[in-house]
Amino acid sequence: MNLGKEFSKGILSENPLFRLTLGMCPSLAITTSVFNGLGMGIAFTVVLLASNIVISLLRKIIPDSIRIPCYIVIIATFVTMIEMLMHAFTPELFESLGIFIPLIVVNCIILGRAEAFANKNSLAPSIMDALGMGLGYTLALLVVSTFREILGAGTFLGYAIFGQSALIMILPPGAFITLGCVLAFLNKIQNRTKHSVNS
Amino acid sequence: MRKVLKLSLFLLIVASIAGFSISYVNGITDPLIEQQNAEKKQSSFNDVYPGADDVKDESKKYITNDSDEVVKEVNIAYKSNIPVGVIYTVKPNGYNGKIEMLVGFDINSKKITAIKILSQSETPGLGANSKESFFSDRFKGLNAESSIEIVKKESVQDNEVLAITAATITSKAVASGVNVARQHFISNFAK
Amino acid sequence: MREMMLIIIGAVLVNNIVLSQFLGICPFLGVSKKLKSALGMGMAVTFVMTLASALTWLIQRYVLEKMQIEYLQTIAFILVIASLVQFVEMVIRKTSPDLYKSLGVYLPLITTNCAVLGVAIINIQKSYTFAQTLTNSIANALGFTLALILFAGIRERLEDANVPKCFEGMPIALITAALMSIAFLGFTGLQ
Repeated sequence: MNLGKEFSKGILSENPLFRLTLGMCPSLAITTSVFNGLGMGIAFTVVLLASNIVISLLRKIIPDSIRIPCYIVIIATFVTMIEMLMHAFTPELFESLGIFIPLIVVNCIILGRAEAFANKNSLAPSIMDALGMGLGYTLALLVVSTFREILGAGTFLGYAIFGQSALIMILPPGAFITLGCVLAFLNKIQNRTKHSVNS
Repeated sequence: MRKVLKLSLFLLIVASIAGFSISYVNGITDPLIEQQNAEKKQSSFNDVYPGADDVKDESKKYITNDSDEVVKEVNIAYKSNIPVGVIYTVKPNGYNGKIEMLVGFDINSKKITAIKILSQSETPGLGANSKESFFSDRFKGLNAESSIEIVKKESVQDNEVLAITAATITSKAVASGVNVARQHFISNFAK
Repeated sequence: MREMMLIIIGAVLVNNIVLSQFLGICPFLGVSKKLKSALGMGMAVTFVMTLASALTWLIQRYVLEKMQIEYLQTIAFILVIASLVQFVEMVIRKTSPDLYKSLGVYLPLITTNCAVLGVAIINIQKSYTFAQTLTNSIANALGFTLALILFAGIRERLEDANVPKCFEGMPIALITAALMSIAFLGFTGLQ
């Protein structure tokens, strides 16, 4: 098994947000600033990594019929720990991300990777899968939040860039528009490469 | 039947390990969080009433109504053991949930020293700007003896505060918190 | 009574769970292609959300707070929701096989519906009473169903429309959602 491939697929070809269109709730809600996007991406990756590792290690022990509840307990445990650690060590991020930190537990990506990958593969590929998916998701969040913060607040990571801003970009509609346009753009690129391959 | 028992036992073991690990992490992080909250509180008190030697929580003495929805804490600021200021923690209803804020009063001058928004969940870019100093500074030095009103026109009278553009509801919510604190202050400390 | 009306209007229109709070997006974008499945999903979510909120509220009050283990909230709530969905699935399969067939795979997916867990947590955060919790959950579920039905109606029409190739599918759905979201922003005046 090519470990490098397990890692890179999560970034481009199987990017969880842009290609698999999973994990959309937080990507629309918290991407009002790049700082938030980065923070959520990292928290998410930590939980995904931890749960992939544990589930992969225990995959031969967990009885098949109750595997979903077990995964949920394992994922919820790590989410709770991350929640506490963030509250203690990164309080501003904890406050901005708010309810979406506990909601990591129902982020379809994590349960999805546990079911589709970690319970069928050994430790090393599972780690690579988690890192790749985590990085891919973080990058996706950064793309969306960069657009929204620069256009909506005129800042980037809190540093002012433009004087004017389109407030609607940080409000709900802006989230939908940004994600829609980014997906359309990626589709266009994919269609173009398909055409050039065919011709 | 045996199978169900075996499965349930397994799930129970997993849940117990989970529970213990969480408790362990909680044991580490909880004291840190408590300490952080205490430090934040002291520094906020200092922002709202600078220069006090000591700030004592006397909520039990001054909050007579247990189910008071808005006034949460009454802290007295002392200088050389003389009460010089009162810092209220109030939680009025904002546009999108409760706003937690501090309102500081000076006993001698009967003026508002400052306000500080501790937490809010108002609209980002609009009501959320209530925590910025450009807005909270508008309350500094106002006379506590008359009600504070929110206005939308630029020229303000003595007891008026200019609202945040397009965030009138949030501005009014903040003002209502100030007024509740103000009334309590006048009736208890300004005789 | 007036308070209940405020909660209902708030949840369905002003702070619509999908279009303003971004909870329940995955099923919103995934299920809403046909009007019928949208309605079915909406009803299933209403049922689960209300029951889940009621149960989690009781657990928060009588177990977590009593034993001071509030930090186990996430894990306790999600387990309650998962078990509830499992239970509801079994009941529907026995009592109404037709309904079970039409809901198909969407029923177990309600477990990962962030709206259900989200609303359960919000009820606690806003310190609602039990009655307010029930009202809020039903209202939010109605808001979800409303958004879903409106969206499905639009998408059914979109199938025949002339959409640029790269926008086909998910992107145009998101842009549609954006327009709906702008429309719902207009409701903020209702407050």
